[in-house]
Amino acid sequence: MFGMDVAVRLAERRTAGILRAIGKRAYFFRDIMRGLREPGTWIPETIRQMRTIGVESVPLACIVAAFLGGVTAFQTRYQLFPGVQLSVVGLIIRQSIVLELGPLLTALVLTGRVGARMTAEIGTMRVTEQIDALETLSFDPVAYLALPRLLAALLMLPVLTILANATAIFSAWAVLVTATDVRTDDFVAGLRLSFTEFQVVYSLIKAFFFGFAIAFVCAYEGYVTEAGAEGVGRSTAQAVVIASVSILVLDAVVAAVLAPFIQA
Amino acid sequence: MKRRDNLLVGSLVLVATLILLGGTIWLARGGLKSGYAMYSRFPWGAGLKQGQPVLLAGVNVGFVDRVELIPDGTLVVTYKVQSQYRIPVGTTATVQANGIFGDQQIALTPIRASTQSLPEGDTIPVGIAAPGIPQLLSKGDSVAANALALSAGLRTTFVDSGGINEIRATIKEMSRLLTQVSAVTAQQNRQLTLTQASLRRTLSSVDSSKVDSTVTNLRAASANLEQLSREFKATNTQVQTLLDKVSTGNGTAGRLLNDPAVYEQLQVTMRRVDSLLIDIKANPRKYINLRIF
Repeated sequence: MFGMDVAVRLAERRTAGILRAIGKRAYFFRDIMRGLREPGTWIPETIRQMRTIGVESVPLACIVAAFLGGVTAFQTRYQLFPGVQLSVVGLIIRQSIVLELGPLLTALVLTGRVGARMTAEIGTMRVTEQIDALETLSFDPVAYLALPRLLAALLMLPVLTILANATAIFSAWAVLVTATDVRTDDFVAGLRLSFTEFQVVYSLIKAFFFGFAIAFVCAYEGYVTEAGAEGVGRSTAQAVVIASVSILVLDAVVAAVLAPFIQA
Repeated sequence: MKRRDNLLVGSLVLVATLILLGGTIWLARGGLKSGYAMYSRFPWGAGLKQGQPVLLAGVNVGFVDRVELIPDGTLVVTYKVQSQYRIPVGTTATVQANGIFGDQQIALTPIRASTQSLPEGDTIPVGIAAPGIPQLLSKGDSVAANALALSAGLRTTFVDSGGINEIRATIKEMSRLLTQVSAVTAQQNRQLTLTQASLRRTLSSVDSSKVDSTVTNLRAASANLEQLSREFKATNTQVQTLLDKVSTGNGTAGRLLNDPAVYEQLQVTMRRVDSLLIDIKANPRKYINLRIF
């Protein structure tokens, strides 16, 4: 009886902890939405964050996408057994990259590069009491720190995903025509096979959600950082892990909801 | 710095937008110049999808742009055909398997050579589709059933009723016969060899100088015969000429042979001579007055 009581209390405590965590994040999201009322605070910073998150991440996103496309093309070609028309390679590469690998790997790479930096920046401002100073100066710290990053990530993740998809498909074509027996005609025929515009929209929807996950999780973890430099490191690591897992979960959710609509 | 940020961000967004729109249009419509539309109405089009190739006489001329099932139960398929290609009048469209994994393609088959082409936006009539895998499997089943029946019949004929033993006996007989034929052939071969040797010996014993003189004599005789023949031919010609004259009634002999009046006069003369002779026999003194002294 006593053991049962302890188990129930433990479960209550755990459940309460989860609900508290959800509630805190909901409040944080509410504060971000409130920040929209002060465009003078977040618009200039948003442009700067778009450059940081978007423009400065282009080389990394393109390099990753180039290798991704090349390797996918090579492996796809040599996993086909004899008799399969070679245009299938183009189809598999397009579907793999546009629907899954392009947005997912771009988001995961940006989680490490952009999300960690975001958490570290905001966390450092928190532990050095710069955020308190902003509040003292009647600045809304959420509108100034979190909202621009969130908007920038929401806009730039789709942009980077477009570039990554294009780079990956181009590198796949280059690898196929130079290193395998697949011709440009086969590849292009496969690329066009069963293509619908919604497949691109699907990729951008995923990128949009991934951008939200990176910016929201990383900004929140930085915003609630405690206990000095060690706390900053812990928050950063935690932010990257939570953001990565969130991306994978969102990927599964989006696929489950929208996959029936992507078939031509 | 702020202006530079704006420029960089704007450029990136612009480039991404151009890639997005250009890439999507290129994949979906084959570029901005997507060609012209043609249509077909198929009763069945399993696996038919947007983007699948459209072949005219085996050449890729476009792609499937849209597949729409209309309420009367037929599939209206819209093609995009490249502008440089025209579809000849009389062309029929069929849905064909592209490979063995369920991918499809549209085959446009010109029935006959035609310089006239269908206008843009026209409907291409549907042709007779090639048999699919179910039909082939059905055919295969019937072929297998026939093969089974044939096999059973062969078994009944050759195994159960002892036909195979008869075939074996026949083969044995054939083998024996072939052995005999082979022996006869060998014997004949030996005989031929002997005859050939004998002939060679005979030929080697012939004196070639005598043969030469004989041949020379034969040549002379042949020349004589030729001369004789020429003379005979000339004589024959003369006789022929004479006969021609006689037959045409020219000359004495001709008239004698051909003129009936001469014949009748001769007959009259003969009768008179005959009566004269009779009279002479009866009355010799009337004509013969013999006086001796």
